Amino acid sequence: MARAGGITNAVNVGIAVQADWENREFISHISLNVRRLFEFLVQFEATTKSKLASLNEKLDTLERRLELLEVQVGTASANPSLFTS
Amino acid sequence: MATSTLPIPREVKHFDEISMRQSLLFTESLKDLKNLRSQLYSAAEYFELSYTNDDQKQIVVETLKDYAIKALVNTVDHLGSVSYKVNDILDEKVDEVSGTELRVSCIEQRLRTCQEYIDHEGITQQSLVINTPKYHKRYILPAGETMRGANRTKSKYLGCSLDDEDDWHQFKNAVRATIRETQTPTSTVSKGLSPSPSPRATQRPGVFSFTATMPKKELEKRSISPHRFPLLRSGSLSSRPMTPNSSRPTTPNSSRPTTPNPSSNARRRYPSEPRKSASMRLHAEKENAKEVDQFPSKSKRLLKALLSRRKSKKDDMLYTYLDEY
Repeated sequence: MARAGGITNAVNVGIAVQADWENREFISHISLNVRRLFEFLVQFEATTKSKLASLNEKLDTLERRLELLEVQVGTASANPSLFTS
Repeated sequence: MATSTLPIPREVKHFDEISMRQSLLFTESLKDLKNLRSQLYSAAEYFELSYTNDDQKQIVVETLKDYAIKALVNTVDHLGSVSYKVNDILDEKVDEVSGTELRVSCIEQRLRTCQEYIDHEGITQQSLVINTPKYHKRYILPAGETMRGANRTKSKYLGCSLDDEDDWHQFKNAVRATIRETQTPTSTVSKGLSPSPSPRATQRPGVFSFTATMPKKELEKRSISPHRFPLLRSGSLSSRPMTPNSSRPTTPNSSRPTTPNPSSNARRRYPSEPRKSASMRLHAEKENAKEVDQFPSKSKRLLKALLSRRKSKKDDMLYTYLDEY
């Protein structure tokens, strides 16, 4: 009887250890995927920031060119003698 | 986890409706991402309490695992859709900016073309204003020079300003009229001259051009001798009032400085065109060759008479030549 009780305890401990390892493996998988998700978010942030910066630069350049064009057109329209010749 | 998904209609006619729905989905997915954190925290607290209080711990653990997997997958889906939409929006904005840059470049090129056209027209107008040689030609044609070379000046400056035949004839008539006015006194004087035999009677206008290029010694002699002559002849003029005063001093003086000197003056003023003026004169002076050749021969005889008078002081010989002149 004592041997049978000892064997069952050992089996239970082994099952518990296996379950613990399974749980640890599951947690490691979850943490690994969360890290990958975090890395993706960081990379996405960097890419989006660079794209937004280039877009902002283009918009600034475009705004200056548009202001210059506006001034030139305003000057030309203010001096209609250029178009009457 | 509450994921709100709106049903997208299959047939959306207007592009504005599509963009509005896409932006609405994007904002809702962003809101889900914001609420996901609180949901995960609340779920973690619920599973912790149930694991401690409930007896069936294995069932709670299995439920927690399933929830964690679903939450992670849902989060990845949300982040993927959000990142895709953000990238799509950014690319769309970049394309719009590129299109706007192209349009602005096109407008700038148009403006540059207009500016270049305006500059070209201005340069053309200014160049047309500068190229007006009318005053230049009329300045070059004095009355004495065009007397014999009027036909040559036409061919020389034909393309300058007097392109029309009417204008050219008017100009030529005006020049001839001025020449006649200026030439009438000398021609009347030359008519009164007696045809005396001259040693250079066979000489042609080429000889006349040679007299224009005479050495300076002869010119100085000729210029010196009239200064001596009036002093000596002032008394004789009073003794002989019958001789015309206008013909004696004017004709030699007018013939000497006017006929040889204009060529020399022309050579001094315009050193680049003496040959052309001389050739122009060669053709034009053939008509007036006899009239012109008489003056240097008679003036030479007059000079000889003056010199012989100074030696012998015989006025009779001089007066005979003067009367003959």
